[in-house]
Amino acid sequence: MISFLVLLGIVVCFSAILALALNFQWGLGGMVNFGLAGFYTLGAYACALLILKGGANTFVATLGAMAIVAAASALVALVTLRVAEEDYFAIVTLGAGEMLRLAALNEDWLTKGALGLAGIPRPLGNVIPAELYSYFLLGLAVALLLGTLWVLNVLARSPFGRIVRAVREDDLVAATLGKDVLWARVRIFAIGGAFIGLAGALHAFYYQYIDPTQFTNIVIAYAFMAVIAGGRGAHRGTILGAAVVMVLLEGSRFLKDVIPALNADQLAAIRIIMIGVGLILLLIFRPQGFLREHRLRVDLGDAATIRR
Amino acid sequence: MRTFTRRRMLKSVAAAAAGPLGFPFLNLAHAQGASVPIGVAVPLTGNAGPYGPDMAEAARRTAAKINNAGGILGGRRLELFIEDSESSAAVAANLTQKFINVHKCQSCVGYWGTPEGMSSRPIVVQNKVVLMVSSAANAITEGDTQGYVWRFQMKATDWGIVIGRAAAGMNFKTVGILGLQNAFVLPIMKVFEERMKGAGVQVVDSLVYNPEQPSYRAEVERVFGKKPDAVFCFGLLPDFVSIMREVHRGGFESKVVALSIMADAEGKFVQAVGPQVAEGIRHFQPMPDVSASGYRKFVQLMGAPPDRLFLFPPNTHDQVSITALAMERAKSPMAVDWSRQIITVGNGPGQEVDDVVEALKLVREGRAVNFQGAGSTCDFTPNGDQLGRGMGQWVIKGGKSVFVEYAKP
Amino acid sequence: MLQTAFNGLITGVIMTLPALAVTLLFGVLKFPNFAVGAMMTAAAYLTFALNAQLGWPLALATCAAAVAFGGFCILIDALTFRPLRERGAITLMVASLGLGFILENIARFAYGNAARSFAVELARPFRILDIRMNREQLTTFAVSFLAMALMYLLLTRTPIGRAMRAVADNPQLALVRGIESPRIIRWTWFIAGLLLAVGGVLIGMDRALEPLMGSNYLVAVFAAAILGGLGSPLGAFVGAMLIGIVSELSTLVIPPNYRIGIPLVVIAVVLIFRPQGLFGQPYIRK
Repeated sequence: MISFLVLLGIVVCFSAILALALNFQWGLGGMVNFGLAGFYTLGAYACALLILKGGANTFVATLGAMAIVAAASALVALVTLRVAEEDYFAIVTLGAGEMLRLAALNEDWLTKGALGLAGIPRPLGNVIPAELYSYFLLGLAVALLLGTLWVLNVLARSPFGRIVRAVREDDLVAATLGKDVLWARVRIFAIGGAFIGLAGALHAFYYQYIDPTQFTNIVIAYAFMAVIAGGRGAHRGTILGAAVVMVLLEGSRFLKDVIPALNADQLAAIRIIMIGVGLILLLIFRPQGFLREHRLRVDLGDAATIRR
Repeated sequence: MRTFTRRRMLKSVAAAAAGPLGFPFLNLAHAQGASVPIGVAVPLTGNAGPYGPDMAEAARRTAAKINNAGGILGGRRLELFIEDSESSAAVAANLTQKFINVHKCQSCVGYWGTPEGMSSRPIVVQNKVVLMVSSAANAITEGDTQGYVWRFQMKATDWGIVIGRAAAGMNFKTVGILGLQNAFVLPIMKVFEERMKGAGVQVVDSLVYNPEQPSYRAEVERVFGKKPDAVFCFGLLPDFVSIMREVHRGGFESKVVALSIMADAEGKFVQAVGPQVAEGIRHFQPMPDVSASGYRKFVQLMGAPPDRLFLFPPNTHDQVSITALAMERAKSPMAVDWSRQIITVGNGPGQEVDDVVEALKLVREGRAVNFQGAGSTCDFTPNGDQLGRGMGQWVIKGGKSVFVEYAKP
Repeated sequence: MLQTAFNGLITGVIMTLPALAVTLLFGVLKFPNFAVGAMMTAAAYLTFALNAQLGWPLALATCAAAVAFGGFCILIDALTFRPLRERGAITLMVASLGLGFILENIARFAYGNAARSFAVELARPFRILDIRMNREQLTTFAVSFLAMALMYLLLTRTPIGRAMRAVADNPQLALVRGIESPRIIRWTWFIAGLLLAVGGVLIGMDRALEPLMGSNYLVAVFAAAILGGLGSPLGAFVGAMLIGIVSELSTLVIPPNYRIGIPLVVIAVVLIFRPQGLFGQPYIRK
């Protein structure tokens, strides 16, 4: 029983890292990443391939995955520098994400296509005894989650973070103040991308087998719900949001014990309908989420007080 | 429709509010030690959804039959935990974890689809628990499974061999191949193509297509446009429906051969395209030997008319039965003890028995048995694959599938 | 190759009506609506219910379902998008994503996952000028062209149409001129609903009815609308035809399973280098 909660905890952790990355790119940076599923796929496959084909160990593979997704994200941001509208940008990221998933499915010389990649080893899997391993993995996942939170928080409160917020609120003004808007956007997207890669690597380690069908659009919906539920821009809120979303979704699987009149297909459809309804209700009634973004306070000497 | 009792009220509140934290409430009735838990993961939803319910029912009835005859290991009852794998690798992996860690199962059975088996494999090997799958992809039993992974199905490459041989016998000079980008289709396609070339048949085109495309016009145009004598299609129902409609609309004349999960799917294919489009399509599927007594007994157990064809449920019956027999033989419910007894009770040598209750009695008396299951003779290779399985061939005439023959690799 | 180009024409024609709906909705409501795929699916299943289950002839079923669905879209707007109208395009986009999940799964709930067909005979082909075509495809052409012609008349000759174009071009000015935005929005949704319903039926006739039928077309339809210029009906038509023909022709040079990447590339290229597409107007948001 405890073991099951431990495993659920691990899933919540890397889902939360994914949500934090989205929150950094969107909540803080104003750049919506509708291609999340594709970049997540890239992270998981990069990590798995670096180990299985490149012979790297799990630590190096994780760093490699983060670097690769960061680079891909930077590339997408660079190429779309000129796209000023946030919804157009979202569509382009959707396109990029879909291309990545298409490649994962079809380039079977590299990814083994629909067969997927099996036998992915786990960090320190040979060192730690099997009975204790899930606790170790949970500890590692929590540590990485806290690490992500810390890094992103530091960045958010740093001068870089102020630039990011300025760009988000009004990039025209930010540009006139001399901030290099375009370069800031690339960096935001790349940093978020690195953490998407981290989440992908953890996903690969947890399941030890990845195939293209694991990375569907529902992943995007979960991440967005977590970010919206937690409050755009508020990092701790995002984690809370991710946990709430995961628990509700896993918990709703037990509906079938309670409602026998419907068949399993119908119950599955209802669950997704509830996700959609939940998303819309959240947007309508609670757009600021449960916790609000940390409001920057600056002393009176500084004229630039940034408020939401 | 069950009435809304207070007990169910409690369950629904627990489930809704606390999700998995509600586990302790739901498991109060489970008395540790008095029963032997078995996890059953079958697809009730998703693209393999149509196959799950009967598989679950077969498992239930088999366990009930065994329990009514006194159970195993000195009167202990088999307790099944049946869950929906949603045709998904991630869900199946979570279920396998749940079976092992929460319900303390030492045997996990069902597992129709390849992704479900593949993602659960490392979990069972790590936990030293047995996994019994009903999926075809070779990869599941490759490598070192330490004797914990057992396949109750025909290997994918064997499908290619049987279909290839049948195709060679059909005297086609030129063939085309269309396959879905999917974990179990690809190995079949490869072996089939080799067989065709080996038999001197010219393969005019071999094309892989994606699921869920807006249209398959281009694929049909390319392969059927070359006018081969026949086109062999490997995929799933929705794409096959689209492809056959395009073929019909395009007026292409090549004969079509497919798998039963696409061309039959419990009659859904003919329902979707109409008898005219479906006329003449041949389809293949691994099936039990319907003339065998083990299969006939199984049909009776399911309460179905004697001519009913069950493709997958006999496998779950065999999975539960072999689990019970191996445990009884090893006198232990722990997989580390009984996993190696699977071959002993399945292959023999010993008395051939096709009824699991009789077999259990013999094993208790210390006698050697060779269990003949419902889906196959339950003879295994050391790495977990099953021997002696065959494939059925049908052809659609007048809107109905007519049986042609049964062949082995 | 001529046959392939013809096949591309068919694909393009099927995409035209939903592309028109996307462009209309974007022009008036100012956000990309990701639920259009699922809307087509839902409307197609509604038609299926009337046609295959109640036995109505397909044409009648389509008309009835289209009108009903148009009304349904007005309701959806009131419940889902109106409360969010002031929030900006991204919020509306995310809401439309959720709406898409809901509609697709209502269809799945009611009809399951298996593929179905309308109660019409599948036609055998005949040849003209060495190109294979059949009656169904000609019907598709005819219906689409009729719909486009009606749209053109609507947008240019009727007060509602002119008002829609005014709101699309410049909402503030339209307001000054006394054009009532909520009424225009309702009409826009109704017309979009009609277009999506007929588009869904055409897809159902072409491929099959299954819960994913509309979402399979989503990216391609958006590519068409974006290529033509979001907000320009003529652009939607041209964009749809181009995407359809180029996708099919591309199978002569690249592996067919990659042809769904073409709309993605088109989207990226257009939005980066010429966001207003071929016929749209550069739109300044702020």
